[in-house]
Amino acid sequence: MSAELTCAEVVELLSDYLEGALDPAATSHVEAHVADCDGCTMVLDQLRETIRLSGEVRESALARDQRDTLLTAFRRHHAGA
Amino acid sequence: MAPSTDTADTSADLELVERLRAGDEAAFMDLVDRLGPSMRRVARMYVKTDAVADEVVQDAWLGVLQGLHRFEGRASLRTWIFRILVNIAKQRGVREGRSVAFASLAGDDLDRPSFDPTAFLPAGDTWAGHWSTLPFDWRGVPEDRVDANELLAVIGRTLEALPPLQAEVLRLRDVAGWSTEDIRNALDLTDTNQRVLLHRARGKVRAAVEAYMRSVAES
Repeated sequence: MSAELTCAEVVELLSDYLEGALDPAATSHVEAHVADCDGCTMVLDQLRETIRLSGEVRESALARDQRDTLLTAFRRHHAGA
Repeated sequence: MAPSTDTADTSADLELVERLRAGDEAAFMDLVDRLGPSMRRVARMYVKTDAVADEVVQDAWLGVLQGLHRFEGRASLRTWIFRILVNIAKQRGVREGRSVAFASLAGDDLDRPSFDPTAFLPAGDTWAGHWSTLPFDWRGVPEDRVDANELLAVIGRTLEALPPLQAEVLRLRDVAGWSTEDIRNALDLTDTNQRVLLHRARGKVRAAVEAYMRSVAES
């Protein structure tokens, strides 16, 4: 990877960057680019905000009959164990 | 700055296994509630109907209960449970004559860029590859004009529309806060695939948030 990354390259690395999954060289290339680029700084902030918002999404609840079936199975398993 | 990680803790897992073996119903139902919705979606990737997916999930829990004495904590408990689930789901899918290609679950867009190429200056330009059209800057949108519930609904609908593995990797990572290692092991993904699936999914959710914010600003 060349030291000078383009914006088009940087945006494809931002998720991995936030995961800490880039090697040290790539990490510093991304950081050097972002420090100098308002557009990529904004997209990085937007990605952070997106991840934060996703964390507020509520997981769907399990159907009651499915829960009841599993609880019955658990009781039966223990009665038989 | 990585998202918070719900770290799998071996001693907590072993303690939970002991409670399950002792017949602790509350502990079991707590685990069922935490993992159940995701298990159902994962099972559904491999079998034809929701009803069969429910059967697969039930079979998986039975397999878990019967195998608890073999759990040694080498993998996290949730990873171990998902491996049992995925094995049963795959076997059931094979019996149904349903062979599921990785690409149909992961999406065929994994190597596509996350922004339209026209957002960047073309080759030949002095600044080739740098922004020509920036995404909408939503920082200027007043907070009181953003309907938080609607925004979360937008994200929910976006996840529904994603290829199932993209959606599930994002849900496990960014909604449920699993470690990447657990996600990789639970869903039997390579490190690269896990990262690319997450990257694609996050890119699409970001774009959906951007579109929503733009619509608010223009309304």
